[in-house]
Amino acid sequence: MILQALDNYYRRRAAHPEPARRLPAVGLVEQPIGYLIEIDPAGRLVQLQKTGEMRGKKHEPSRFLVPRGVKKTSGVAANLLWDSAEYVLGVDTRGKPERVAEQHAAFRAKLAALPEAVASDTGIRAVQAFFDRLDLAALAQLPQWADIADTNPTMTFRLLGDDALVCQRPALQAAPEPTDDDATLEAAICLVRGQPDTVARLHPAIKGVWGAQTSGANIVSFNLDAFNSYGKTQGNNAPIGETAAQTYTTALNALLARDSTNRVQVGDASTVFWADVDDEPMEAGLAFLLGEPAKDDDPDRGIAAVQAIFKAIESGRYQHEAGSRRFHVLALAPNAARIAIRDYHDLPLAELAPRIKRHFDDLAIQGGPNDPPHPSLFRLLAALAAQGKADNIPPRLGGEVLRSVLDGRPYPAQLINLAVLRCRAERKVTYARAAMIKAWLNRDVRAKHTEEKEFQVMLDTSNNHPGYRLGRLFAALEKIQEEAQPGINATIRERFYGAASSTPATVFATLLRLSNHHLAKLKPGRKVNLERLLGEISGGLADFPAHLSLPDQGRFALGYYHQRQDFFTKRSADTDNTAPRSNEHGHRPPLRLRPPVRCEGRQPQRRP
Amino acid sequence: MNRFCLEVSGDFACFTRPEMKVERVSYDLITPSAARNVFQAILWKPEIDWRIHRIEVLKPIRWINLRRNEVGKTVPAGAVASAMKQGRGALGLYIEEERQQRAGLFLRDVGYRLHAELTVKPEARAANPLAKYREMFARRAERGQCVNQPYLGCREFAASFRLVDPLSEPADRQDLSEADRAELGFGKPRDLGYMLHDLDFSDPADPQPRFFRAELHDGAMAVPDWQEALA
Repeated sequence: MILQALDNYYRRRAAHPEPARRLPAVGLVEQPIGYLIEIDPAGRLVQLQKTGEMRGKKHEPSRFLVPRGVKKTSGVAANLLWDSAEYVLGVDTRGKPERVAEQHAAFRAKLAALPEAVASDTGIRAVQAFFDRLDLAALAQLPQWADIADTNPTMTFRLLGDDALVCQRPALQAAPEPTDDDATLEAAICLVRGQPDTVARLHPAIKGVWGAQTSGANIVSFNLDAFNSYGKTQGNNAPIGETAAQTYTTALNALLARDSTNRVQVGDASTVFWADVDDEPMEAGLAFLLGEPAKDDDPDRGIAAVQAIFKAIESGRYQHEAGSRRFHVLALAPNAARIAIRDYHDLPLAELAPRIKRHFDDLAIQGGPNDPPHPSLFRLLAALAAQGKADNIPPRLGGEVLRSVLDGRPYPAQLINLAVLRCRAERKVTYARAAMIKAWLNRDVRAKHTEEKEFQVMLDTSNNHPGYRLGRLFAALEKIQEEAQPGINATIRERFYGAASSTPATVFATLLRLSNHHLAKLKPGRKVNLERLLGEISGGLADFPAHLSLPDQGRFALGYYHQRQDFFTKRSADTDNTAPRSNEHGHRPPLRLRPPVRCEGRQPQRRP
Repeated sequence: MNRFCLEVSGDFACFTRPEMKVERVSYDLITPSAARNVFQAILWKPEIDWRIHRIEVLKPIRWINLRRNEVGKTVPAGAVASAMKQGRGALGLYIEEERQQRAGLFLRDVGYRLHAELTVKPEARAANPLAKYREMFARRAERGQCVNQPYLGCREFAASFRLVDPLSEPADRQDLSEADRAELGFGKPRDLGYMLHDLDFSDPADPQPRFFRAELHDGAMAVPDWQEALA
């Protein structure tokens, strides 16, 4: 499944119409090359060209596609047509002339070993001629020589007038790949492609998994005795052909690359995703669902990406053939120098798309003008962590929430526990927490098929759940106090939120008595209005329960949040006559550019 | 009839893929060799063979991710031999010192119906009528007897089993949602890639695996004959 899917992705990207997005052919890898030796067809040196540019104080050579190199250890082993200056030119850079002579000989032997059809290529012949007339003393006169002798850069050949390197010439690519002369290799059925192939003993490294070694780690590797089965060693434990080993690693490395738009970090798992079709809006949408867009990015880009999905669903894009195309999400995490599969989802777009929409619909809740309409998973989780720090998010929570979203199942219980505890600890129900609580409760209600009503985007006066009613009542009592004693330091929220939400019976009697004194300070008209509101809210309440369970405390927080938002919207409706802003899809005002939204718990970026 | 159907279920299962067996990832459903071992746990004799024909998936495919401590070393046979000879030295290994934490993507809450055929090996047929083993198996399976507890891929994932007659008691898939049914290949076959069929033990020193293209068709996977599997 995973490797097959990556192999298929490789095949698609290797045949991509745009050369810039095409993945390299099997057998080629991207390597930094320091110098290009430009020669004419007769083998005369035209110039030594230094590649790349300065990045800061360091010179970074450009990267070129070259034939896959051999895995080098302490011995002498040459690559085909590209290598370090010691190998290519036989320049002694470290005072070991015998070894360098051996290296250069190995490099030329590799060239001489090419099959006849390839050796007759103009490029190869020119390289051979170059070596026949190689004169190090003359080369030493060149201005670049000091740099070469000093740094021992990688170098390769280019023919005068060619755009491509000699090692990229069509004749070489058509040639069968030289196999490693390793005696333990076996031919077997490749379990990725199902065709006979030489078994790859070691697989190319996968780079870019956060937390793994920078030189790369492997998914398929057998690095201890206990991992071997039936007396087999290394790759023979899992017969994967050389070709498939190349293709899946190339594809995965491309997905994981630093500038890839198909990767995000979810907690400690590096997550990549890809669709079976080109230009799938879901790819951009998922990137936004999971991660926060780069700070200097346009904050509306993510909103636009999510709305593109909604639009695609509404237009029926996923109904027929396109809906049966599959979408893959793969989460990787390092474990002891290896890469572990944290999670893998592979599902048809027709199912995924409505689940993504469902997630955002569940989250939708009335917010302030600066709250993002479609909060990302990262932002939500950060709002549940102590001090709003991403470091304090429990390690596997992100992955579990993502799994719930993709499976369309209830969110993990841990989520509501954290949200309620954060609300209580900080005595503050923020937009992100309220959204998370609402989404959790609604999914829970749906999964349990109870009679309970789902929570709405805005205040729902018909909801009779005691938790919700008590939350509303608490917000109303706080409002009365605020109006009676404007600007006081500690309101009843600071002092009573925790007790009111967990053990209502103990505090509400006190709170109601207090509110009588507060009401007495108000103007008669306002007093009547607020008393009517209190009556309306407590009308649905039979009794004050002795204690509320965690989900009920979530309902309390939601009732409090809704009622409070309701006070604000009414006021704004009175003063500037704008319609209350709704997050519900379809009722949103048109997109407009806003300053970067502030992320809960993170400092907004200050520009100089 | 020498065909039997066992209904097995368990809380967890891991039918480890060979390519991801260090940091384990399970196949989507039970492999033929794991199913064979369930039958062998109930009855096995040197003269009989079990062959899996069909595997029905009764529950939706669900996953769970967790890490476990396992052992990272095998006891070196050479060191043991020399210790035996000399009369001193270490014979075993200490798991506390050879610990490896390994991540796993396992299946959870699984249920299958395994359809298998019992045969007597050709060389043993003369002295051993098939009816003997058939009756033995039916009797044992009905009583819930087994030599060792059948398990779902790993020994720690015990399986409960029940002998069923698929004709009088068709598989119950009432609880499956529409999306789950689609994932199990109802309506449109679902390709699962290449799956391990079993190992060829004819050369015990170097057993060779065989693979087949697994496909879920209306909630069931047909297992090809051993000879048809890719070697």
